[in-house]
Amino acid sequence: MQEFDKKFVNPVGKSVPRIDGKGLVTGQTKFAYDVQLPGMLVGKMIRSPHPHARIIKIDTTKAEALPGVKAVITAKDTGEIKFGSNEFFFPHLVDQMPLESQKVRYIGDEIGALAAIDEETAEKALKLIDVEYEILPGVFDMLEAMKPGAPQIHENVRNNINVILPVNIGNPDRLIKESDYVREDVFYCQSAAHTCMETHTCIGQYENFSNKITLWISHQAPFKVREAMAKCFKMDLNDVRVIKLATGGGFGGKLEMLPMDFASCVLSKKAGGFPVKIAYTREEEFTCSRRKHNMIYKLKSGVKKDGTLMGMTGEVIADGGAYCSYGPTLLASTIMRIFMTYQIKHLRITGYRVYTNTPISGAIRGFGGVQSGFAVESHMDLLAQGIGMDPAEFRLKNITTPNMVAANKMVISSNGLKECIETSMNASDWKNKRGKQSHLHRGIGMGIAGDVMGSKMYKAHESSGGIVKVEEDCSIYFFTGASDTGQGSNTALSQIVAQELGVSYSRMKCISADTAITPFDTGSFASRVTFIAGNGALLAARDAKEQILKIVAQDLHLDIKDLDIQAEEVIMLSTKKNIMSFEKAVKLCYSFNYGHQILGRGSFNPQTSPVDFRTGEGNVSASYSFESQIAEVEVNTKDGKITVLKLWDSHDVGKAINPSSVESQIEGSLAMGLGYVFSEDLKFENGRCANANFEGYRIPRSVDIPPMETLLIETIDPQGPYGAKGMGEAALLPTAAAIANAVEDAVGIRLKELPFTPDKVLKALKEKYGEDINL
Amino acid sequence: MQITFKLNKKNYSLDLQGHETLLEVIRNLLGLTGTKEACGEGECGACTVFANGKTVLSCLTLACDCDGYDILTIEGLSDGQTLHPIQEAFLEKGAVQCGFCMSGMILAAKNILDQNPLPNLEEIKKGLDGNLCRCAGYPKIFDAIEEAGKKIIKAK
Ligand code: FES
Ligand code: FES
Repeated sequence: MQEFDKKFVNPVGKSVPRIDGKGLVTGQTKFAYDVQLPGMLVGKMIRSPHPHARIIKIDTTKAEALPGVKAVITAKDTGEIKFGSNEFFFPHLVDQMPLESQKVRYIGDEIGALAAIDEETAEKALKLIDVEYEILPGVFDMLEAMKPGAPQIHENVRNNINVILPVNIGNPDRLIKESDYVREDVFYCQSAAHTCMETHTCIGQYENFSNKITLWISHQAPFKVREAMAKCFKMDLNDVRVIKLATGGGFGGKLEMLPMDFASCVLSKKAGGFPVKIAYTREEEFTCSRRKHNMIYKLKSGVKKDGTLMGMTGEVIADGGAYCSYGPTLLASTIMRIFMTYQIKHLRITGYRVYTNTPISGAIRGFGGVQSGFAVESHMDLLAQGIGMDPAEFRLKNITTPNMVAANKMVISSNGLKECIETSMNASDWKNKRGKQSHLHRGIGMGIAGDVMGSKMYKAHESSGGIVKVEEDCSIYFFTGASDTGQGSNTALSQIVAQELGVSYSRMKCISADTAITPFDTGSFASRVTFIAGNGALLAARDAKEQILKIVAQDLHLDIKDLDIQAEEVIMLSTKKNIMSFEKAVKLCYSFNYGHQILGRGSFNPQTSPVDFRTGEGNVSASYSFESQIAEVEVNTKDGKITVLKLWDSHDVGKAINPSSVESQIEGSLAMGLGYVFSEDLKFENGRCANANFEGYRIPRSVDIPPMETLLIETIDPQGPYGAKGMGEAALLPTAAAIANAVEDAVGIRLKELPFTPDKVLKALKEKYGEDINL
Repeated sequence: MQITFKLNKKNYSLDLQGHETLLEVIRNLLGLTGTKEACGEGECGACTVFANGKTVLSCLTLACDCDGYDILTIEGLSDGQTLHPIQEAFLEKGAVQCGFCMSGMILAAKNILDQNPLPNLEEIKKGLDGNLCRCAGYPKIFDAIEEAGKKIIKAK
């Protein structure tokens, strides 16, 4: 019988150590990047060197003749079936083939792949591929791409506009006219990269005779990969097994099938069934995975003198790069977020996602919310300023409340936004600092945000299933489809199972995200796992518990309704007496008389209403999470450097299942937010990435991290498992605006273009104060 | 080219072509995959190992230059039975997320603590400057290193 650790009884709300921690700190855990299989070949993608060209001919004979090359594939080895990530909602926007046959649309576009016995041979073979292209004029700027007469990237797509989303609610023009103060602002947000520490990696194996595929992968959504693979191979879902291994970060970048996943399996088939591993180089990771949509955000709003937000109009233009990816849902997400935080009833914002001959833009932590967070939260401060109101007070007047329905029919239940704002103000000493430190060139600024916990990205449902298996030695396996990519979901879900089953967390083991053996889950995105997979876990544990209690009740002639398992004991609810230990109860289940295997199952699909992507109406998520963030900065007026003195993030997480994990998620988000504000800027010159390495693309380092304080607000969501809500993404949404707002408080300049480099600060200071910037 | 070195207290004698990096030898030849590669260009610190008591980036180090060296990788940090105090502290303080940077991070932490078991925050930050972590946002790593230092002193 397994010994249990008393410390970890009732684990929900405790910072228990990670379930997979020991393997990670000792180097024993195997990531996809580490996998070596017998006979494994090295695969490489054949990529376009041109941003826009027609493929005339591909000659692979020289490469095939090179000793050590085992397979070369091009589009003709595939079914040439198009796939897309938003296919379910936008079938007409499916625009990418696993390997392109007609045209290439960005530098790096995949037209083939090859497999060889080693890296060196594969590299050599790549150089022997002869491709004849007809070079076409490219278009790299989204505004240029929208002009009539611009090069057409996809057929039958007018002015390269991939998606138009006209959100139109109420009568904003009239309300703006009735306002006391109206202003218009334009904000610019650059592109950025995920830079997961583990690059995209997969190992594909095709068993010819059984017609079966196995793909080991570093990923956030193995079930999504399975679906796309099955479609492109014309196979049944269960012929494709996708196994997620330990994954070195995702952040939205590992959320789709990439051509490499498909190619590794086709190569394996052609090479006679040997496994083929494709691992992106760091340069490929920067240039050929996914990137953040750079956006132009125009907003115009009116307010009453008393601070009432009347109406808003605007336009969002997003650079989608060469293909559709999750573009349509991302555009909806960037525009719709305002309804989570502000009680605005009249709004018209039209979103355009535009194709350019640059790498594909897709999902990245925040899913459009970082860009809208910067624009909306900067704009709100400017509106408050225009009527001479404190920006915190302005927000408190206009924010959403618990139990309300927003103008776009979002149903908000638990909502700690007010508390978030107030606690962050108190913690940062807002009242004594705001507007009072400009003599020190110091300032303090605020931004708020809301986030979903789930949304239907690629299916009619977004369910998550769990299975709890209690062994006769009382060790417990939890099987979940949810992908732990480092955020700690295996730990949090196991805590929920242990809590509900009434046992110590030390009994738990977790197997996750293997499409052949774990239940389905849509993936780790939209901060959905704790909420949705957490409910799946809860139901599975409850089912297992009922099975145990049924046998106890039967054996002792008790009423099952009067029994529960709490803290390792079966108890009688009416008398509060212990009946027997959990261990004894399990022994009873597996005894001579009963022989009953304890296999609990749960499936949870949140109640949401379908979203009308034409109007923006609908309830995308079953509940929403909220936060308020405050930044204190000091601006050096001589060299233009902004120093963040401290960040406060007050976050409504519903209930922190694992407070330490929750803090880590917030801190990691804040760091990512800071990187985007100050240094992360993925640059392109004529479609070619100009800084595809960590030297040119600087992500935050230890020395860049200011003090951070996280304040957890627990509103206990009525639908969340133990009241928990999702929170993995929201913390970086308001960071840019909080800093921009703080900079204005410090030195009176308004930064509307990210990232905030010293040059831009100096330029703004000069524009405002002339040469005499010593204030 | 024949070289010998000690790695995690074991002696190895290897026949190399000469162009292999230490990282390739450790991962591909010796099968120790705890040491990671995240850039291959000396910019991330994921491949950090100890060579003769000092941290080096194994992706930039030629294996044949390590003839006669004493090398330590993450697999050799603990005694195989109990975790090293730094590993313990990283777990206790919740410093680990995806873990891909962790082998390098933990060895960089050892380097800091070898020099001074009670480093201040600035020293910790400076000592980690070459080690990128995309998940954690660092504060919990700073805490873990402070805590590990205390554990090491206590154990002495
Ligand atoms: S892999 Fe050696 S520094 Fe990045
Ligand atoms: S824990 Fe993921 S990169 Fe550091």
